[in-house]
Amino acid sequence: MKFSVEISSIEEIEIAAKKFVECFTEPRVFAFYGKMGAGKTTFIKAVCEELGAQDYVTSPSFAIINEYTTTKVGEIYHFDFYRIKSLEEAFDLGYEDYFYSGKYSFIEWPEKIETLLPPNVVHVTVEELESGNRVITAN
Amino acid sequence: MDKKKEVIVLGIESSCDDTSAAVLRNQELLSNVIANQKVHENYGGVVPELASRAHQQNIIPVVDQAIKQAGITKDDIDVIAYTRGPGLLGSLLVGTSFTKGFSIANNIPMVDVNHLQGHVLAHFIREEGEPVEEPKFPFLCLLVSGGNSQLIVVKDHLEMKVIGQTIDDAAGEAFDKCAKVMGLPYPGGPLIDKLAKEGNPDAFQFSKPRIQNLDYSFSGLKTSFLYFLRDRIKENPDFIEENKADICASLQKTIIDILMNKLIKATKETGIKEITVAGGVSANSGLRNALQEEAKKRGWNLFIPKFAYTTDNAAMIGITGYFKFLNEEMSALEDVPFARMVIE
Repeated sequence: MKFSVEISSIEEIEIAAKKFVECFTEPRVFAFYGKMGAGKTTFIKAVCEELGAQDYVTSPSFAIINEYTTTKVGEIYHFDFYRIKSLEEAFDLGYEDYFYSGKYSFIEWPEKIETLLPPNVVHVTVEELESGNRVITAN
Repeated sequence: MDKKKEVIVLGIESSCDDTSAAVLRNQELLSNVIANQKVHENYGGVVPELASRAHQQNIIPVVDQAIKQAGITKDDIDVIAYTRGPGLLGSLLVGTSFTKGFSIANNIPMVDVNHLQGHVLAHFIREEGEPVEEPKFPFLCLLVSGGNSQLIVVKDHLEMKVIGQTIDDAAGEAFDKCAKVMGLPYPGGPLIDKLAKEGNPDAFQFSKPRIQNLDYSFSGLKTSFLYFLRDRIKENPDFIEENKADICASLQKTIIDILMNKLIKATKETGIKEITVAGGVSANSGLRNALQEEAKKRGWNLFIPKFAYTTDNAAMIGITGYFKFLNEEMSALEDVPFARMVIE
C-alpha cells in the first residue's frame, strides 16, 4: 500500500490531500472507487486545490469531464463516467487525449471504462467506516 | 458592414449530450431542431441507433432539417453562431469544425457563443403570433440545470456577471443523485417533482448549507439524505416505499429553499426586482410555484421560459449569436473551443 489515510473530520481532508500530493509527485491517472456519498468528489476537490487549481472544482457528473487550470501542474482533468453507457462513448470523448496527456487525471466511476484505463493507473479507494470516518487508500 | 433590416442566423449547439440547430430571423425563431430518430428518418439514409454525444452522425441531418423547417435555403443565411464552450471538448469540436466549414463554403461570418450566456438570453427568443415579454436590464438570472447553479446579474445582452455559483454539485444533480439513492430511474428530477405533489413537504428535515456569500452547495444535502435513508431503513426496510411521496416533497422543498434563499439575498443585495430563471431545473413545478409566490410577495417582475428553451438547444445559441452579430463581435477561423468557459 503506497498511501493510506483515515479522515475523521472535514478539516482533516486538507491534510490528507497534502499527503496524497506529496506521495504522488508525478502526474498520473488516478481511478477513484467508492459508493455514492463516500466522498470521492470532495477528496478530489481537496487534491486539486492542493495542486493549485484556479477554478471552482465541482462535480463533473453532468459534464463528464471538467478541466481546471492550476498554478503548479498545468491542466488537471476530472472525470465522472457514471453517465457513460458504452465504451464507444468514451472513444467519442477522446479519452486517449486526456489519459495519455501527461497531466493529472482524476476519474470517478472508472468501473464504466475499466478496460480503457492506462497500465500505470493508480487505484484509489474511498471507503466509509461504521463510525462515519473515511479511509482513503491508494496503491 | 451593411446593416440589413433582416438577419438570418443559423445556430449550432453541440456542447454536451444533444446536437441541435436552429434558424432565427432577427429575434424570431423559425426552427429549433434537436437530434432524434425522426430527424434521421426525414434526412434519409441509414438511421443510426441514437446515442448521446454522437454529434458527428447528427450534425448534418439536424442542420438540414432546421433549414428546411425554417422555409429558407442555405443561401439566405447571413451568419452562423456556434457554442464555443463550456462543454466537452470532443463535442464542441464537432460544432466548431462544422461552423468553420459552413462559414468558408458559404462566405458568411461566424460568431462564437458562450453556452451559459445562451441560457440567460433564451428569454429574448420571439415566436410568431406570441406576445413579446422580455426582461428589462439590469435583471437577475437564476440559472439552474444538471451541470450549473448560478446567480447572474445581466446588465445588457452581452454584459453579465456571475455573483454566485455552486461550489460542488449542481441543483439538478442533487435531484438526480437523491433519486438514485431512492432507487428511482435517471434522470430523477421530473419523477421527484411528480411524487412530491402527493407528499408533505414538512415531513422530514434535511441539512442546508451554511455559506455566507451567494454561492450554492448541494453536496452536503446529498450526503445527509443518504444517511437519513440508511438510518431509517435500518429501523424499517420498507421506509422508502411507505414514505415515498413525503420524502420527495421534503427533499424538493429543501432544494428549492436553498435556491430561493440565495436568490432573495441576491435581490436584496443588488436591489434588482427583474427576475428570470433558466436551465432544465426551471421546469420543476415546485420551483415555479415558489418563484411565483415570492414574486407576488416581493413585487418581482418574473420571467419563466418555455420548457423547450430550458434544456440545451440551438435557439438560445442563435439568439445570442444575433446580438453578437449586431455588435460586430465575430469569431475568427483560428478560434478554438474551450472546455472551461466562464461568463465575464
